Amino acid sequence: MSRMPIRMTVNGKAAELVAEPRTHLADLLRGALLLTGTHLGCEHGVCGACTVELDGIPARSCITHAGACDGAAVRSIEGFDADPVMAALREAFSAEHALQCGYCTPGMLITARDIILRLPDADEARVREELSGNLCRCTGYRGIVHAVLRVLAERRGTAP
Amino acid sequence: MTAVGAADAPPQGVGASLRRKEDARFLRGRGRYVGDITQAGMLEVAFLRSPVAHARLLGVTKPEGAEDRVFTAGDLLGVGAIRAASNLAGFRVSEQPVLARGKLRHVGEAIAACVAPTRAEAEDLAAACTLDYEELPVVTDMLAARAPDAALIHEHWPDNAFLETRREEDLSDLDGIAAAKVTRRLRTARHCMAPLEGRGVLAEWDPRLEQLIVTSSAQMPHVIRTGLAEILGLDEAQVRVIAPDVGGGFGYKGILLPEEVVSAHLAMRLDRPVRWIEDRLEQLTANANCREHHYVVTAWADREGRLLGVEVDATVDAGAYSSYPFSACLEAAQIGSIFPGPYTLPRFRCRTVSACTNKPPILPYRGVARTGVCYAMETTLDALARQLGIGTDAIRLANLVPPEAMPYRNLVGKVFDSGDYPEALRRAIACFDLDRLRARQAAGEYVGFGLGIFCEQGAHGTSVYHGWGIPMVPGYEQALARFTPDGGLELRTGVHSHGQGLETTLAQVAHEVLGVPTARIRVVHGDTALTPYSTGTWGSRAMVMAGGAVAEACRLLGERALAIGAVLLQAGPEAVELAGGAVRRRDGSAAVALEEIARTWYRRPQHLARDVDTGGLEVTAGYRPDPDTGTHSYACHAVIARIDRDTGAVALEDYVVVEDGGKLVNPMIVDGQVLGGLAQGIGTALYEEMPFDAAGQPLAGTLADYLLPGATEVPDVRLDHMETPSPWTRFGQKGIGESGAIGPPAAIVNAINDALHRFGAELTDLPASPARVLAALEAGRRR
Repeated sequence: MSRMPIRMTVNGKAAELVAEPRTHLADLLRGALLLTGTHLGCEHGVCGACTVELDGIPARSCITHAGACDGAAVRSIEGFDADPVMAALREAFSAEHALQCGYCTPGMLITARDIILRLPDADEARVREELSGNLCRCTGYRGIVHAVLRVLAERRGTAP
Repeated sequence: MTAVGAADAPPQGVGASLRRKEDARFLRGRGRYVGDITQAGMLEVAFLRSPVAHARLLGVTKPEGAEDRVFTAGDLLGVGAIRAASNLAGFRVSEQPVLARGKLRHVGEAIAACVAPTRAEAEDLAAACTLDYEELPVVTDMLAARAPDAALIHEHWPDNAFLETRREEDLSDLDGIAAAKVTRRLRTARHCMAPLEGRGVLAEWDPRLEQLIVTSSAQMPHVIRTGLAEILGLDEAQVRVIAPDVGGGFGYKGILLPEEVVSAHLAMRLDRPVRWIEDRLEQLTANANCREHHYVVTAWADREGRLLGVEVDATVDAGAYSSYPFSACLEAAQIGSIFPGPYTLPRFRCRTVSACTNKPPILPYRGVARTGVCYAMETTLDALARQLGIGTDAIRLANLVPPEAMPYRNLVGKVFDSGDYPEALRRAIACFDLDRLRARQAAGEYVGFGLGIFCEQGAHGTSVYHGWGIPMVPGYEQALARFTPDGGLELRTGVHSHGQGLETTLAQVAHEVLGVPTARIRVVHGDTALTPYSTGTWGSRAMVMAGGAVAEACRLLGERALAIGAVLLQAGPEAVELAGGAVRRRDGSAAVALEEIARTWYRRPQHLARDVDTGGLEVTAGYRPDPDTGTHSYACHAVIARIDRDTGAVALEDYVVVEDGGKLVNPMIVDGQVLGGLAQGIGTALYEEMPFDAAGQPLAGTLADYLLPGATEVPDVRLDHMETPSPWTRFGQKGIGESGAIGPPAAIVNAINDALHRFGAELTDLPASPARVLAALEAGRRR
């Protein structure tokens, strides 16, 4: 099968890659770039485990063709180590027991970070609605919802 | 001396809600699952799978030029079939070929393995194969499976049943003496457990070790090792199974897979690492399912609601094959022993059938048969209460085992260790304003209140399982504890974590015994080469069994350290004690830290006494509770459900769980287990269903068709704990991992029926989907 060249910025670094037209972004990240923190749960865009940031917006990397990302900036879970919002979320996720097996966690964190930045006044109902594109089979969601609410409250200065 | 175990340090032992040690790697995406692991020269496998449910397989034509990259049953020389037998009288064992041989028995059955450098190319190969088959009549319904004219799935069997069990008791006099009698026909839906990570396996042959190394997303690596060695004809020492991080299990990964056997065989045959990663379509349509039960329940009660007797006819759709190691009959046959639930049932008659159908085989899912049993018993009790005109709380209080009867042996011989079941019910009800609810109902609102109460046998051992005669029987659980030369503590256990946080909780147990800070304790698990044998993580057993074993190993290790410490302190053995991570003189005059003792054993042996225990600072110890019939945690679920009369949608307004898991080793993690199970139980109650059409085609091939509860479907549950210690376990802990998934269908459907019965409607089949709710309302209007 033919291969196509792809230039992307991945976690702040330039990458020059080649991929088959049928390759999706998650396989490119996990394979050629060894960024295995992006997990594949369904490969049809429902479960959200593969969520990455694509040009600043959360995207399902399993239904994003790698070839469509030429020129794009991609940020995977490995690219947030210096990010203060992500640091606060990680702390809150651990404190609220918002993860068990860890498989949905990277996608969940990237969605959660987007909620924090985009909806600083979100209440619990809104947080749950915004999280509804990310499935977790372990936790029952309470810890995840509480962790997001905790970081929102901290940033509003209303933490208990 | 180092200041170990300072008094103001936050608690880390048994009972502390310690944050999880494993979180750090997961939060950075640094968990390592089988799909993250690659090897140089690795080949990927894609399976050509059956497109039909029942057929004679006449041939497979491999793509031209790719004959050496496509493998069918005829190519697998020396590879046996998977057999999971049971000693139960009359059990018929199936031969499950790892690649289909002669017949196709369910959609998705693996027919050929195609290998290529990438999965995409392997799938291209599978797509280029041509299949020749002759279709046979299909058996999709478990009741129709036993009709005299049903096609036989295993042709040498007299009918399509793995096993039928009977508990006989004459109940014919009850019609004459009972104040009330109800009969209900109930169904639960076929499920897929759907952990977010599918299964997967990476197999390679190590020529130096002459060993097959199989990395697999597995709950029970030691059992997989035994099964692989038997089927591949290898010495067990030639097989090493590694389970890395496992992305959820719930029972789905407690199985020896045909795909594991095939991948392992191909790795040896091709002398290349071979990997298969299950995709979601395979998981939903091809691999083991669960939970599909059918019940006819009749119950008799006196005027006060006391049960006089129960008769049950239960069928479980076990699919086409008996899965290794739990077999095709565990789930159905278990119904005969757990149906009485937490009640003092005086008389009981029960028939169970493990039906064989043209569907994927079943596996025990979180709660195993209890979710269906609880659903059947609890909805029948509510029907009885309605007929008698008494409260749903009153009928339960009239029958629950009273606390003063504990330990209680029920009529089928189950022994409940401890607890106060009526108190759990009372506490749950006290959380609600039921007068207000009744007022809303009187005002015409479609709302209802429902209860579900049950007990969960966990960590049951040899005395329970030997009677099943399945390929594994749990015995003494072992753990190894040892100090490293720098004074760190290493624990090795054969159980494995797939989200339960054992790296944290087992460290808490060790801290409780030895006082070593949990930061200095490492849990090694998930590798048969590094850990003692264990049947693994299933049956809510890890904290009771491995927790007990770790405690015992640490206790013995502590004695060794104490003896060395006494010598270093120049004190007699009676003058010293182990406390706060150090050996101390009882008079408080001196202490020596465990680090120093470890350093002495390993690196300064000249300071050891001549009669030192040469076993050193490494102990393997075994543990089994006595009696080993299992702990019984229990819970009462209570919920208010609101029904949209126009759409049939069910909303859960308020949900309360009162739970008794005995002593909680880590309350935060226990809450997580209960809440996670509860979300799955809500899925069972309202959303999850794997339908098949008349041709045996599975109809939910994506997660847009097979509905898992999301953050908007699971309410912010209120949890209350009673902590009645089990008298039989090391710290009083009880197995609790499955409990949350057991109660929701019963409680939720009871709430729905509390709302619907005033409109002449009643729901009996799961899930309580909008279509089923509307159909029940429509039937009520016609009545």
